[in-house]
Amino acid sequence: MAMTDVQQAPAHHHKPSGWSRWLMATNHKDIGSLYLWFSFIMFLSGGVMALCIRAELFRPGLQFFAPELFNQFTTLHGLVMVFGAIMPAFTGLANWMLPLMIGAPDMAFARMNNWSFWLLPPAAALLMLSFLVPGGAAAAGWTLYAPLSTQMGIGMDMTIFAIHIMGVSSVMGSINIIVTILNLRAPGMDLMKMPMFAWASLITAFLIIAVMPVLAGVVTMVLTDRHFGTHFFNAAGGGDPILYQHIFWFFGHPEVYIMALPAFGIISQVIPTFSRKPLFGYTSMVYATSSIGVLSFIVWAHHMFVTGLPATVQLFFMYATMLIAVPTGVKVFNWIATMWEGAMTFETPMLFAIGFILLFTIGGLSGVTLSVAALDIQLHGTYYVVAHFHYVLVAGALFSLFSAMYYWFPKMTGRMYNERLGKFHFWWSMVWFNVTFFPMHFLGLAGMPRRIPDYALQFTEFNSIASVGAFCFGLGQLIFLYNILTSLKNGKPAPALPWEGADTLEWKIPTPAPYHSFVEAPQVEADHNGSIVSMHGDKHH
Amino acid sequence: MGAQRTQLANQRMLAKLGVIAIAMFGFAYALIPLYRVVCEVTGINQVVKADEVESGAGTELPPPFAVTMDFDASVQAGLPWEVRPVTRTVQVRTGEFIRVDYDITNRSDREVTGQAIPRYLPGAAGEYVKKLDCFCFRQQRFKPHETRRFPVVFVIDRRMPASIASITLSYTVFDVPAGRT
Repeated sequence: MAMTDVQQAPAHHHKPSGWSRWLMATNHKDIGSLYLWFSFIMFLSGGVMALCIRAELFRPGLQFFAPELFNQFTTLHGLVMVFGAIMPAFTGLANWMLPLMIGAPDMAFARMNNWSFWLLPPAAALLMLSFLVPGGAAAAGWTLYAPLSTQMGIGMDMTIFAIHIMGVSSVMGSINIIVTILNLRAPGMDLMKMPMFAWASLITAFLIIAVMPVLAGVVTMVLTDRHFGTHFFNAAGGGDPILYQHIFWFFGHPEVYIMALPAFGIISQVIPTFSRKPLFGYTSMVYATSSIGVLSFIVWAHHMFVTGLPATVQLFFMYATMLIAVPTGVKVFNWIATMWEGAMTFETPMLFAIGFILLFTIGGLSGVTLSVAALDIQLHGTYYVVAHFHYVLVAGALFSLFSAMYYWFPKMTGRMYNERLGKFHFWWSMVWFNVTFFPMHFLGLAGMPRRIPDYALQFTEFNSIASVGAFCFGLGQLIFLYNILTSLKNGKPAPALPWEGADTLEWKIPTPAPYHSFVEAPQVEADHNGSIVSMHGDKHH
Repeated sequence: MGAQRTQLANQRMLAKLGVIAIAMFGFAYALIPLYRVVCEVTGINQVVKADEVESGAGTELPPPFAVTMDFDASVQAGLPWEVRPVTRTVQVRTGEFIRVDYDITNRSDREVTGQAIPRYLPGAAGEYVKKLDCFCFRQQRFKPHETRRFPVVFVIDRRMPASIASITLSYTVFDVPAGRT
């Protein structure tokens, strides 16, 4: 079968060159780089939309955009960041690092891997071009709730089609990750020994396979409601718009952990390295991650507390949601316990990791607040929710990605990034992130609704502060881009082991990572969290 | 493990995971009947629950008490309906048969079909309002600019908790596209 050419791949001893290297890429490192660059471009695009939103909200009243366009920005900002930036970035990172961390020659299905990446640019193009069609882009919010989504123009059809394509892409990517982890680990790299990043990617991949098809299903129902006379969400035809929310959030809540678990995995690699201690409670970490994955399937209706659910149902989802705080708390405890009495140093990856723990925990606490049904009825649809999910997605997922990029940059490129710029990037992001999003808690508590281009006068000051913060935060990300671009060209050559405490498998091979690594699987003796005690028999080209 | 065997194992797993993905697509559709069954079994969606006729013998009903009923209606922007409750508010007693009227007008120049969906506030009152006749039981066809008066006949179950002092019954009228009646 053409898809499984792992064993043939090492036969190409030299790198393919030119455009065909990228278009026909089957090497996991090339595909990983494609994913990472794609997601960074999408991050910047979604960021520009966010800045348009914040520009409009700098002052009350309508300044720059018609409300219709504002709604399109909020919708596409969400869709682009979730499906274009965060998810592909984690998939790209898994592509780059997983085979190195578990001693596999490549991903299991190299050509399917190429296909999963190259589906993404057309999907992104569909989303972006939908701004130009009559009626504009989808404007129903990233959740695409019916009956709004059953009414809009062709932009909604393009969005639905884009979601189908991205869904297929991420399901194929996940199958690849699962098969690679389960079948291609080097001898000695047991499941209960492998790095937490591999565990997190594995569980995330299972979540994606379980719920992305459900999202595809529900948007297909919207599509047939729109064009083919079905009545899934049409009350007049016996359907129910609330049903959309049930099916959507059955996807949507596991999706939250799809964006959080890989971040947990990264942090579980970075913290031990810079604390020069093994990860505290590795086994409990694995079980905590798994139980978060399982619990994520039974909490979806906490997004729907104001739809008129009976009290018994509200109570069930409230308690189930609070339960998730337990395994999450185990993880935060373990990270802090890892740092405890460690010989810590604070290079950029570590700074982002500590920033992650601090801010993600704040986001987690506001999440527990929102899980209380009685409070949620007050806070639903306000800026409190916006503050909450940006603490877990920007300071959570995004900070972990920055941490990962700085951490593995020397291994990927053979060059060091600029440490001073990296630290500046961290402190700049840390400050302006909080200036942007912390006031949103107060706005939400005071009752400012989300997704509306105008607001009452008493919300002016906090909105102005948030807008200034957003522009500074956004500009600060160009520091990262500048650092990456200049370091790729002129960075100092990286030593074989740039981080003293790093002991996982990817640090045992030459730097930069050879184009074809682990052509023959090494025999390893590993301890918890993938730390390598001894290794022999590896071969690279 | 030999290269051939790894490849075979990979392909087997690919097939299994692919089946899971396709099954989950189907599961999205299966959720629709599943929700209905769950609601019926657990009785959590009270408004659509089928009434059970009891013999009535031996059960002591609580005494009737007074309830304020408010009537309301709404139409989504852009739809041709005008819906007006003839009676806005009425004092009723539980166990009493009540009849109120609604006027519905088609403001457009074409023939249209509408479907009304009732909603109760508080939601928990819904299962105690027993409608015997209602225009919401079926789709209604209107000629251009036609106005019709519809009765709603209901009785409030005497077993309703006395903590509910007032109930709002609100209808939303939706358009049924031509050819879907």
